[in-house]
Amino acid sequence: MKNRPVLTIAATLCAGVLGLTACGGGDAGGEAAAEGPVTLDYTWWGSQDRADRMTKAIAAFEAAHPDIKINPNFTDYDGYWQKRATEVAGGGLPDVMQFDISYLRQYADRGALLDLEEVADTLDTSGIAETLMPSGQIDEATYGVPISTNALGLFYNPAIVEQAGVAAPTGDMTWDQFDAWIAEVSAKAPEGVFGSGDYTGTFWLFDMHLRQQGKQAITEDGQVGFTKAELKQWWESTAELRANGSLVSAERTTQLLPKSPFGAGESATEFSWDNFLAGYLTDSGAAKLEIVAPPSDGDEKGLFQKASMVYSIGAGTEDPEAAAEFVDFMVNDPEVGQIFGTSRGIPASKTQRDGTTFEGADAQIVAYEESIAGELGESPAPLAIGFGTAESAFKRITEDINYGRTSVDDAVEEWFAEAESALQQ
Amino acid sequence: MSTVELRGPSAPATPAAPGLKRARRAENRIGYAFLAPWLIGFFVLTAGPMLASLYLAFTDYNLFRAPEWVGLENFTRLLDDPRYLQSVKVTLVYVLIGTPVKLAAALAVALLLNSGMRGQGFYRSAFYAPSLIGASVSIAIVWKAMFSDAGIVDVVLTGLGGQPGGWVGDPDKTMPMMILLATWQFGAPMVIFLAGLKQVPKELHEAAAVDGAGALRRFWNITVPMLSPVIFFNLLLETINAFQVFASAYVISGGQGGPAGSTLFYTLYLYLRGFQDSRMGYASAMAWVLALVIGLITAVMFRTSNAWVHYSGESK
Amino acid sequence: MSTATSTTTAAALSDPAPVSRKARRQQGALTRSVVLHVLSIAVLVVALYPAVWMLVSSLKPTNEIVGDPSLLPSSAGLDNFRTALAGIGGVSFWTFTWNSLLLAVLSVVGTVLSSSVTAYAFARIDFAGRRVWFALMIGTLLLPFHVLIIPQYIVFQKLGLVDTFVPLLIGKFLAAEAFFVFLMVQFMRNVPRELDEAARIDGCGHARTFGSIMLPLLRPAIITSSIFAFIWSWNDFLGPLLYLNSPEKYPLPLALRLFVDQTSVSDYGAQIAMSVLALLPVMLFFLVFQRFLVDGVATQGLKG
Repeated sequence: MKNRPVLTIAATLCAGVLGLTACGGGDAGGEAAAEGPVTLDYTWWGSQDRADRMTKAIAAFEAAHPDIKINPNFTDYDGYWQKRATEVAGGGLPDVMQFDISYLRQYADRGALLDLEEVADTLDTSGIAETLMPSGQIDEATYGVPISTNALGLFYNPAIVEQAGVAAPTGDMTWDQFDAWIAEVSAKAPEGVFGSGDYTGTFWLFDMHLRQQGKQAITEDGQVGFTKAELKQWWESTAELRANGSLVSAERTTQLLPKSPFGAGESATEFSWDNFLAGYLTDSGAAKLEIVAPPSDGDEKGLFQKASMVYSIGAGTEDPEAAAEFVDFMVNDPEVGQIFGTSRGIPASKTQRDGTTFEGADAQIVAYEESIAGELGESPAPLAIGFGTAESAFKRITEDINYGRTSVDDAVEEWFAEAESALQQ
Repeated sequence: MSTVELRGPSAPATPAAPGLKRARRAENRIGYAFLAPWLIGFFVLTAGPMLASLYLAFTDYNLFRAPEWVGLENFTRLLDDPRYLQSVKVTLVYVLIGTPVKLAAALAVALLLNSGMRGQGFYRSAFYAPSLIGASVSIAIVWKAMFSDAGIVDVVLTGLGGQPGGWVGDPDKTMPMMILLATWQFGAPMVIFLAGLKQVPKELHEAAAVDGAGALRRFWNITVPMLSPVIFFNLLLETINAFQVFASAYVISGGQGGPAGSTLFYTLYLYLRGFQDSRMGYASAMAWVLALVIGLITAVMFRTSNAWVHYSGESK
Repeated sequence: MSTATSTTTAAALSDPAPVSRKARRQQGALTRSVVLHVLSIAVLVVALYPAVWMLVSSLKPTNEIVGDPSLLPSSAGLDNFRTALAGIGGVSFWTFTWNSLLLAVLSVVGTVLSSSVTAYAFARIDFAGRRVWFALMIGTLLLPFHVLIIPQYIVFQKLGLVDTFVPLLIGKFLAAEAFFVFLMVQFMRNVPRELDEAARIDGCGHARTFGSIMLPLLRPAIITSSIFAFIWSWNDFLGPLLYLNSPEKYPLPLALRLFVDQTSVSDYGAQIAMSVLALLPVMLFFLVFQRFLVDGVATQGLKG
């Protein structure tokens, strides 16, 4: 007798929970394959701008392939990788994924990604440059198809340069010339505006600098490709600029985050990937920004095209052919190229590139990549496991130097210890 | 006095001596019936994952390969990890200074709001607003703007003769900034204090006032004891939360614990190790060390609470 | 109580100059009121300046938001709100809001029901093993949640519940958040025992005592829990990120992050505008619910 109300409570709770199951249980991915069209789970990272473009591209695909339905999923970059890491540990990834070459190796090692050679008949990669394909390849297998490419460049803000009354930077400066140029801009520009931030914290730029000498920061087999002396020299190259206040201070750089000093209009230059142009334009509100090739002390520019993102297919997909069909469309279709412009980088596939008319900032990026086309070296292969950790440690330790929290010598030791431990994994 | 009226005309239902055992069994049965939802949740959602993470703490597990037993290696490595030690230091400072400051602010504002002045509803809502904004992702932009060069804090402090310059980029000032951010979000403990103050019978205050007790003495002799269960709750929970602070550290520092490691909170470092570097075994070891420390503190707090926490519903 | 009243009367009667004392008391009350309001306004300014800054910034051109800490914008417009309301990837702003609302309301219901039932067991029922379970319940507070994410995900994945609201809500219905249980336990233990013992002696079982005596007395704690449950669910990012796949099931926090993307174009203006819009319902919820905090029911119970 006394128990009855308790049972009622318990029953109400259960009913509530069951009810939730009922109302929450919507479409369940590709499981309905047998009954109607195939459904593919497709996921990417990016902003609302990318989501809007992607929605159009998916609609175009579904119109052309009425038998395949795409189930989209999108998040911001950080959330994206946390979600994938959780899924892969739990043993289930979506059918088609936008991937970054810094994560490809871990997932492929685990066997979580499909070798795309298996669907080579459906997925046409003939439009993609031979030199670019290794970006998605590990040990003879292909785990990622390049979607788009980007390259490093030196951005400058012509308005600031003009105001300072100095000549615009060119694509054939030496590092010393560039450093002198920075000092001149910082001296002549209005207070609070500088020639540059401390660029030695960008790991990819250091990699490019090493490529100018025929080396690589991290080799494919996961070894550090340079000596402690070389790193010391790199970090000391801006010591003078740091000391005499010619660089945006570490304090100010931190204050401006998530914008960079260049994006905030407080630095005349910044090294970055060329497809960041649109982001810089939005951040700074500047009417025009220019890109030229980075400095080099010799003939070798050390430039390369990097796959800014690749498509991968989950090894557990129920319909590899349909997934391949979708990737093929997204990589090669000219209409898709037209929808995205250069917002993801320059389309990797020739058919897509040729079918797109580039305008405004897009045209500027294409022109820049054409101008450096003769200087390009090998595209980086999927990055070694631990690369990401080494890269963020590099940035952090450079920041510590700028804050005066560590000497360059200690910094070098610290980075080598962290990088070697991360790369051994 | 009051119980007399509540007691109805029906005969008292005190169980007879032979029925005592049966009564105990009934009490057990109904106790577990009430506890059933929580028990299910505990076993399905919490206990399993907790045990799993305990196991992982003794393994090398990178999310991608099967965990490999390494014994105590993760724990011994902690002591040689300068960033780990940095995170311990940062977190201890935050807990030891931030928690008392925040609780004092919350209690002071709750007392202010309980003073019976006009416009309480408005003030109460307005004072809660920071806690709402503080949980939004936009807080990163908002809070940094307050503490940047030429931000409001810089302007006011310079006006008062302080040194100019924002706090955001200065590794020596980011900790005070984080503590102020936590204190500014005094809303949650404030609301709990307020709810607790509502449990204090007005008659007690009135009677004491008549007996000539001043405001301070009434606060000390009536409010504090009556409020002690809630003070205990807030103290314990805010301490645990401060040890585990993550969200604000993550958004303010852009997820890396900068500048110069000054906001590298314990759980932020744990997250970076677990998800950014994929070292889940190491992160699990970190988690269990923290759990043990908090557990110890919690146990001490419960032990000592007997001396100062007073429950109206329980005889001592 | 009657003795207390008579003391007051006696004191008033024995006062030689009752009028001037009354005047003094009124003046004292006025000073007190002024002091209280000055203090409140001081707190108000500190509490609300960032809120005002946020609101004003939502009207600024998007490139002026980060890096410019001044309060007044160079120009103001509603462009950011237009972008925020335009939706993302074909899913409208209102869908995100509806999902947030549904999750938050169900979280409140689940949390209040399950936590109060559980708390009653801990606070008022003398069953075997109570102390052990209570310690375990507190124990669940100790471990940082990050290391539980993956094992929990695996549980829900095996149950086939990914991409439903179940993983986000089931914990609320099963009192998995020890914060609420412990909060209610603390309040229940502070309710005078005579009240429910009287009911028990009258023959009420625990269920009736809980429902008709304890729950009404617990109103301040229930309101407090409702407010927190609503707000926490409203702001939860990680749960929805991991468990929801379909954008049409996304709540607002997931949508909010999509405006800032370090790998392409960021729209800080739209993010702040959407944050402002997302804050309105919680503010409203708080405004409505905080009213119930005003009259403590517990005190009425004491009078008898």
